[in-house]
Amino acid sequence: MGQVTGPWIIFRKTVQYLALAIFIALFVWSRQDGGPATLINIPMRLDPLLILAHLAASRTFLAGSTLALVVILLTVVFGRAWCGWLCPVGTILDIFSLKRWRKKRASPADGWRRVKFDLVIIIFAAALLGNLTLLFFDPLTLLLRTLTTSVWPALDRIVLSIETVLVKVPIFEGPLATFDNLFRPAILPVQPVFYRDGILFAAIFLGMILLDLLAERFWCRYLCPLGGALGWVSKLAIFRRKVGTECKGCTICTDICPTGTIDPAKNYASDPSECTMCMDCLEACPRNQTRFLPEFSAEKWTDYDPGRREALLAIGGTVLTLAILNSNGPAKRQSPFLIRPPGVRETNPDAVDFTKCTRCNECIRVCPTGGLQPAVFEAGLAALGSPILAPRLGYCDYSCNACGQVCPVQAIPPLNLEEKRVQVIGLAYINENRCIPWSDHQPCLVCEEMCPLPQKAIQLEKAEVWDPDGQTVSVQLPHVLREICIGCGICEYKCPVSGEAAIRVHMPKVDVPF
Amino acid sequence: MGKLTRRDFLKAAAAGAGAMTLSALLEACGKVLPTSAPLTNSEASSPGKPTKASLSHPTGAATEGLPSATDTSPAPTGTPVPIPDIAVTMGGEPEALVRQAVATLGGISAFVPSGANVVVKPNICVAYHTYEYAATTNPWVVGTLVKMCYEAGAASVKVMDHPFGGTGPEAYKISGIEEQVKAAGGEMVNMIQYHYVDTKIPDAVYLKKTKVYDDILNADVLINVPIAKNHDSSVLTLGMKNLMGAIWIRETLHNSLHQSIADLNSLLKPQLTVVDAVRIMTRGGPTGGNLSYVQQKDTVIASRDVVAADSLATSLFGMKPEDLDYIRIATSMGLGRSDLQNLNIQVMQLNA
Repeated sequence: MGQVTGPWIIFRKTVQYLALAIFIALFVWSRQDGGPATLINIPMRLDPLLILAHLAASRTFLAGSTLALVVILLTVVFGRAWCGWLCPVGTILDIFSLKRWRKKRASPADGWRRVKFDLVIIIFAAALLGNLTLLFFDPLTLLLRTLTTSVWPALDRIVLSIETVLVKVPIFEGPLATFDNLFRPAILPVQPVFYRDGILFAAIFLGMILLDLLAERFWCRYLCPLGGALGWVSKLAIFRRKVGTECKGCTICTDICPTGTIDPAKNYASDPSECTMCMDCLEACPRNQTRFLPEFSAEKWTDYDPGRREALLAIGGTVLTLAILNSNGPAKRQSPFLIRPPGVRETNPDAVDFTKCTRCNECIRVCPTGGLQPAVFEAGLAALGSPILAPRLGYCDYSCNACGQVCPVQAIPPLNLEEKRVQVIGLAYINENRCIPWSDHQPCLVCEEMCPLPQKAIQLEKAEVWDPDGQTVSVQLPHVLREICIGCGICEYKCPVSGEAAIRVHMPKVDVPF
Repeated sequence: MGKLTRRDFLKAAAAGAGAMTLSALLEACGKVLPTSAPLTNSEASSPGKPTKASLSHPTGAATEGLPSATDTSPAPTGTPVPIPDIAVTMGGEPEALVRQAVATLGGISAFVPSGANVVVKPNICVAYHTYEYAATTNPWVVGTLVKMCYEAGAASVKVMDHPFGGTGPEAYKISGIEEQVKAAGGEMVNMIQYHYVDTKIPDAVYLKKTKVYDDILNADVLINVPIAKNHDSSVLTLGMKNLMGAIWIRETLHNSLHQSIADLNSLLKPQLTVVDAVRIMTRGGPTGGNLSYVQQKDTVIASRDVVAADSLATSLFGMKPEDLDYIRIATSMGLGRSDLQNLNIQVMQLNA
């Protein structure tokens, strides 16, 4: 609510904008040769939903995960203050509030608040069974995915269009050169990157914002699984909202509460698992009857908190859904083009579902070529949002190991450059029907030239072939030496054949499980 | 800051859309850019005078592949020293090799007028290896040239290449070139898409139109600093091939690679070519990555004529100019000379 003001509101908004600015600054700083991973990963490691779900799925404890305790402790003391004060998605929803177009009193029934709690149950039930797919809907991964795959590439394109105009005006030459040499490498992608599903991720985030038309902070009230998890912890929160005896029932607090949890029917009490501690009611109350005071007891279960039956249903549904997912195609017969980041195949027995991946998107963000992309259907539904290499869009740079260094949960192992250079992430195969020397008998050899291996995984065979006129011509035919190919994909990326490349990287050789 | 009103938003949006349209229009106008003056190597060459250097083609170790060092003594005073077509320096530190080679061609001031904007174009093709692997030009060779340009009074010296493996900034750092160029006061330019200008190549046979980097087109002086190395699709990559780094799309040219190289060299005419043969890569090129592919030659070949420099550099690999299609094509297009037997080649052994 914009109308309410006062020292608490100014304080809260300062913290909110600062936290959002830090989140975006860390996002910008996450790049190859960017900030240290320990700093870059702070937002992800603060996220208790992501960290605890990963712990349940991987059964490995990582020292950096202890940072999540900070947010859990914060919640135990102040309730869902994360949502009201720190969460970058919450702040963005506040900034892009659609209050002006929202119909009054059109909020969905309180019963829908259970969705976020059900999501928490499902996420943890699935995590215990080794599946982290629904972390796709963790607010931080959603935001990072949107920034990486749509907002930043779009920004890059806009800056590029402006520069294309300005470069023709002589007076801008100096400033442009300064921008390109000092700021561009620090802010924008070094080379243009393309994300095939960027529009989908942008639409999901736009949908989150548009839901504000139905109710303020719709996402936080009804859907956010992190909000749900913190909401349950808030049942134990020490500081709770109390309404004084001199309340005259003016309903101002009910009207302004961004999560609509102040109930006139219950003497204007609120549910600590819904309250984001935004302090709007404190500042707005004309009689100063709103206080936040310590209390040491657990808050009662509400109507919309899932009961035993509902929880069992959610768990049962999760087990059944996972059973169906695991019995379908991709689980056994993986896509021939399923290429995971370097080292993943060696360290994940289940590289298809990629169960250790929290979908946080950091690896995709730091990949300098834009080759790593969030999967949608390519690896099966269970692998939604996990990183796959799309060599036609970008290759695995021979001098880069950024993805493993940045991964906050070591789902991509933190290999040094020498170790990373020998990881076999795929194998290249030549399509002789499309290859220029093979089918057109013209010289090409780009793939051989690009191959980064010192011993060259592509070798040339000098051959005499017949052209369509029956003349003998001599050509050099490329062959892939698959015993040394590492599947980096630069050959596929650079192949000059239009459309589908004449050399494609397939999945590496794996032990067939059937 | 005040609230963004609808009017403000529409204004901003209209301005943005206008800018994009304008950009498209300007693009369509096709900015015509002047190219550098054509090569005038006739004044420097002395045709007919046979070189004292013998052109043997052994394949052995250091310095064997080149003409033997002979003419190091200064000419008698009183008679003007003829400026050779090609200056070769051998056996010394990179800086001394470069300085002596350029001095023999008349000194850096003969190429770089005071106040000139200079582009130095090394070969920084990948971000994979340090300079020891000889995939990228020797950093001290590049740094020395930048220093010399400033000594001659250059207004600016920009150094750039467009790597195909890894990003520009990464390659600049790993190759060691960035450090030496910055130490010399030069500027490393990160080559960005919008700087490439559609350019017609009037004398071209195949590559009649391509996108060329504007700084390279507009430079007062272009200094070409290739490394001499093996390259599987063009046999060797030397000075002419190095200029492929100035254009946007390269992969689709490979079925007419040699003609395209020659065509591009009819457009871009470096005033000075300095072939870095301090360390050369004899196989596994252009990327390399194995020190056994590298031979230390401690040699620099400098010429006003890129074709002549390349022609002589072939002997480092035990080859002849005719072995490279692009040299043959460029010679027949009149872009330079490859008749080594008729060229004045001065070879200097520094640490004799």
